[in-house]
Amino acid sequence: MKLKITLSASLFAITAAFLPRVASAEVAPLDLVGPIADYKIYVSENLEKLVADTKAFTDAVKAGDVDKAKSLFAPTRMSYEAIEPIAELFSDLDGSIDSRADDHEKAEKDPEFTGFHRIEYGLFSENSTKDLAPFADKLMADVTELNKRITELTLPPEKVVGGAAALMEEVAATKISGEEDRYSHTDLWDFKANFDGSRKIFDLVRPLIEKSDGEFITKVSGNFDKVDVTLAKYKKGDGYELYDKLTDDDRAVLAAAVNTLAEDLSTLRGKLGLN
Amino acid sequence: MTRNTGPSAPSPKLMKLAVAGAAILAVAGAGAFYFASKNMKSGASDNAVVVTIKDGACDPNAITVPAGRSTFKIINNSDRALEWEILDGVMVLEERENILPGFTQTMQAKLKAGDYEITCGLLSSPRGTLHVTPSAESEAEAARPPLVSFVGALAEFQVFLMSQTNNLVKATTALDAAIQSGDLDQARVLYQKARIPYKQIEPMADLFADLHNAIDPIADYLEKREQDPAFTGFHRIEYALYASNSLDGLAPVSAKLLADVTALKDRVRGLRIPPEQIAKGAARLMGSIADTKIANGEDHYSQTDLVDFEGNLAGTSRMMALLKPVAIQAAPAVVTDIETRLAEANTTLAALRGADGYPSYDKVTKESRDLLAQKIRALADAIGKLNIAVGLE
Repeated sequence: MKLKITLSASLFAITAAFLPRVASAEVAPLDLVGPIADYKIYVSENLEKLVADTKAFTDAVKAGDVDKAKSLFAPTRMSYEAIEPIAELFSDLDGSIDSRADDHEKAEKDPEFTGFHRIEYGLFSENSTKDLAPFADKLMADVTELNKRITELTLPPEKVVGGAAALMEEVAATKISGEEDRYSHTDLWDFKANFDGSRKIFDLVRPLIEKSDGEFITKVSGNFDKVDVTLAKYKKGDGYELYDKLTDDDRAVLAAAVNTLAEDLSTLRGKLGLN
Repeated sequence: MTRNTGPSAPSPKLMKLAVAGAAILAVAGAGAFYFASKNMKSGASDNAVVVTIKDGACDPNAITVPAGRSTFKIINNSDRALEWEILDGVMVLEERENILPGFTQTMQAKLKAGDYEITCGLLSSPRGTLHVTPSAESEAEAARPPLVSFVGALAEFQVFLMSQTNNLVKATTALDAAIQSGDLDQARVLYQKARIPYKQIEPMADLFADLHNAIDPIADYLEKREQDPAFTGFHRIEYALYASNSLDGLAPVSAKLLADVTALKDRVRGLRIPPEQIAKGAARLMGSIADTKIANGEDHYSQTDLVDFEGNLAGTSRMMALLKPVAIQAAPAVVTDIETRLAEANTTLAALRGADGYPSYDKVTKESRDLLAQKIRALADAIGKLNIAVGLE
């Protein structure tokens, strides 16, 4: 009996030492099935829209309609950016669809520099659709292939849940700096899509931790709201102002909220037993 | 310097005690830390794998770690921001984005045994290798996957059920419209279309006894056969379309079927399926096809049983494909056996197909039926071994 007590006491000590990495007991694995299934449907809907929008965008590029192509660039990207944690799971397609000039040895001149940002470079930096047709065809083919692969893919639950933080890290790393859409300055569109994608994941799993972790929910929701309100100030028509319109004050507000969100949401996997 | 505005200095004696106390705490702390790190296997940041990236190459360029959780410390000594990824083929397993020049980032990854690649700077830079060796922990987990490892497959199954019930409601809506408008030929075409999604999800649909009895009863099991008031659903409509060749009195039956499949769709949405239910349901359905349905047939009036079997096999195929990634490590032989049996059943069924589709079921010889039954029985038996093999029963 005594031995048993000692044993369980030391077991407790071991458990306690491991506590930060052990799943919170409240969330049963099967509770995650519904949210992950709903997220797959969200991803599928975004992919369907991405394929349709990319068709219109690349058609405009190939038709030589610079103005129309420019106007479709930012809205077309949104459905990609919203599901980026899943869209970027395939390294080959992520590279060919969404790489930046810096990822390539010869930057803008590198023949491997393809996809959205290559076309963005042509449209906004050179103000022309000249020589863009092959990139347009390739982008359309890649997006179609992406849709096919993700349809067949079983979404890894930890990537879905981890995606909430990953999207905010992405915003912090590349959108706050205005680095991603450097030729078009339409970063706020991407920002909004990343933000919506992150919030979607949070909203889907929220019921699982609402009771056990009310304080966390309140804090995260508050920061999401703060970002939403700040971004809303820059809404223009169906889209957003160019990135250089963003005031320093608002940039600071966004940066602070996004960093806090990234940090808080990074604990979501652990809270849901997916570490 | 001489002014002392703070509290008076502690006496030397007290100071000694405090130091001793701190020392004890420090020793205890170090002991606890040693204990914890010793028990944490890989994963503590003090034994992280350090990878330095410079001039488009990783140093070291070949890494070996045990399966389980590992920590990687990535140092960017190049002059450009980079991302570091662990790749399994084209799939990104883990990544750390936007590591600025001169900066270091840490990343945790839980890896299964196998060979992977690591990226080393630009997209064109040659990749390094990551060799993950089996560990006792990873072997144990592979042999008996924890419940959480079924979440992905179950979610995908949920999506499959939702999309098939969606198709079912759409197709039944179209069938109902044709019946309500009195178009017999069109109704026959649409009837066949509506059967397919139902047959694909039959192992789950028949879990709801009330709906199953309303949607898919056959006259054989009803007291007054075709004249029984409980004869409703698909086969009641089939009876009108192919035996009576009349739509008289069919409108309310069709409306009821539409209401029932809509109810099925709503129920499936909130369905909480335990992982063992997938193989169990598939094995049960295959068993009943092999043992009774093939011999007796169910589509007495349209004689389209082979189309039903095709739908059932397609659904089973999907269910097995979903379980495969979880089951393959624990039970490779069982998974292979199921795939072989599934292929054989499909081939046997396809061999019956002619230029204009499947023959009328009453034209299918006893020999052909027996062969198909034998193949599907073998498939049912193979699937029946899966749950035990992955520790679900």
